[in-house]
Amino acid sequence: MIEFFSRSPEQTRRIGLRLGGLLKPGDVLCLQGDLGAGKTTFTQGLAQGWGSLDTVSSPTFILVNVYRRADGAQLFHMDAYRLETIPEAEELDLDSMVAEGALIIEWPERLGDLIPVEHLQIQLNHISEEHRQMNFHAHGKRYDELLESIRHAMVGG
Amino acid sequence: MTELKPARILAIETSCDETACAILENGRALLSSVVASQMEIHARYGGVFPEVASRQHVLSIMPVVQQALAQAHLTLNDIDAIAVTQGPGLAGSLIVGVNMAKGMALALDKPLVGVNHLEGHIYSSWVYEAGDKVPPEPQFPLMALLVSGGHTELNLMTDHLSYQRLGSTLDDAAGEAFDKVARLLELPYPGGPSIQQEAEEGNPERFNFPRAWLDGTWNFSFSGVKTSVLYEVNDLKKRSSNIPVQDLAASFQKAVVDVLFKKTMNAAREFGAKEILVAGGVSANRALRKAFKAQTEFPVHIPPLSLCTDNAAMIGAAGYFRYALGYVSEMDLDVLPAWPLS
Repeated sequence: MIEFFSRSPEQTRRIGLRLGGLLKPGDVLCLQGDLGAGKTTFTQGLAQGWGSLDTVSSPTFILVNVYRRADGAQLFHMDAYRLETIPEAEELDLDSMVAEGALIIEWPERLGDLIPVEHLQIQLNHISEEHRQMNFHAHGKRYDELLESIRHAMVGG
Repeated sequence: MTELKPARILAIETSCDETACAILENGRALLSSVVASQMEIHARYGGVFPEVASRQHVLSIMPVVQQALAQAHLTLNDIDAIAVTQGPGLAGSLIVGVNMAKGMALALDKPLVGVNHLEGHIYSSWVYEAGDKVPPEPQFPLMALLVSGGHTELNLMTDHLSYQRLGSTLDDAAGEAFDKVARLLELPYPGGPSIQQEAEEGNPERFNFPRAWLDGTWNFSFSGVKTSVLYEVNDLKKRSSNIPVQDLAASFQKAVVDVLFKKTMNAAREFGAKEILVAGGVSANRALRKAFKAQTEFPVHIPPLSLCTDNAAMIGAAGYFRYALGYVSEMDLDVLPAWPLS
């Protein structure tokens, strides 16, 4: 587990930016945090670091946004908040998204067991109006490595 | 203005979760309009699922086109050109409409016209039901406020198909802010109508939520007002389990409408617009319509409620002006999921 403290939305975005540059197709990131915790800001950084040509917006009405990169790679951004019942796995079709690119899921708890077992879990917590605490938990070997790379990128050594 | 050539356009719209086809004459007179809504299918997800939407378009597109022709008592031979939404929207949904339009244009040897969905929303103010009294045509220069779930922007139109974007939202679109606030007030999807309904019974003066004027620019920001509602709700919850949802909804709605209305009015004055036009899903909001209709400084065009949401009539109107002014597409036309208006 790694813990970061962010003192501003700008810093939250920059932490996302560092992680975004390390993303590979098939990576799954689960973003947890209340409304206003900075999930969209963090994702804007992620997409920018990844190299998105498209502007990031919160998938409010469209539950999955797709961002593209110059080399044709895709980044999927899903918001599961409004799901009242867990959909059928084939309706959701997470597999085909993960086969084509990296996937960011906001409110993953709404998807229950459908979340891939291996993923990076990121929890954003309100501390004060501007301050946020961010916890990164790795679930699986790929994500242990990813966390190690983030640690390097963020604190050096 | 020079007289444009008359034409009958068949238009197809499949950018999001509505499969729609319409036929209209000379960019204004609507002969038929059919919309197959997927609302019920998506309601249980609380939003639109792209994969589900595109599969549904495939099932609906043929019957919707056939029904539009039948309602207008026309055959494909009576059509002069095919217009279709090329973007912005969901790639998998747009493709269904574009392929249908291409197939028809190719088989009938008729021109194909790709239309921007946002431009369609603006042109919904040109549309009227054939047989009804002809409403006044919007006059340029026109200050156009485009406000929906995905967009909030001010455009100056000095002529047909000419859009000078003066400003847009820096964060959330107005419609998105409505939905986010509906979430935190625990109101059902879609959030816009839910907030409006609660707001009708509420006191809009009870909470003074911040207005982001962003003076000196024509940009908007709705993230701050959303966050203030969140803090207010959290604060209220600490003191009581009874949240004044109606007053919160009314005060939030007023904060958003104030900014949209005043900035549009100021922009119209500043740029010497003759008239104002309001378009997009949020133009269905009663408080916003009321604000614009209550002033007498500028004639205002806001489409009827049936044309505020996605439809093909508006694509036919914009498509007509593109066709008549010579902007016809090639057969290799591709979808543009992130196509800006200007």
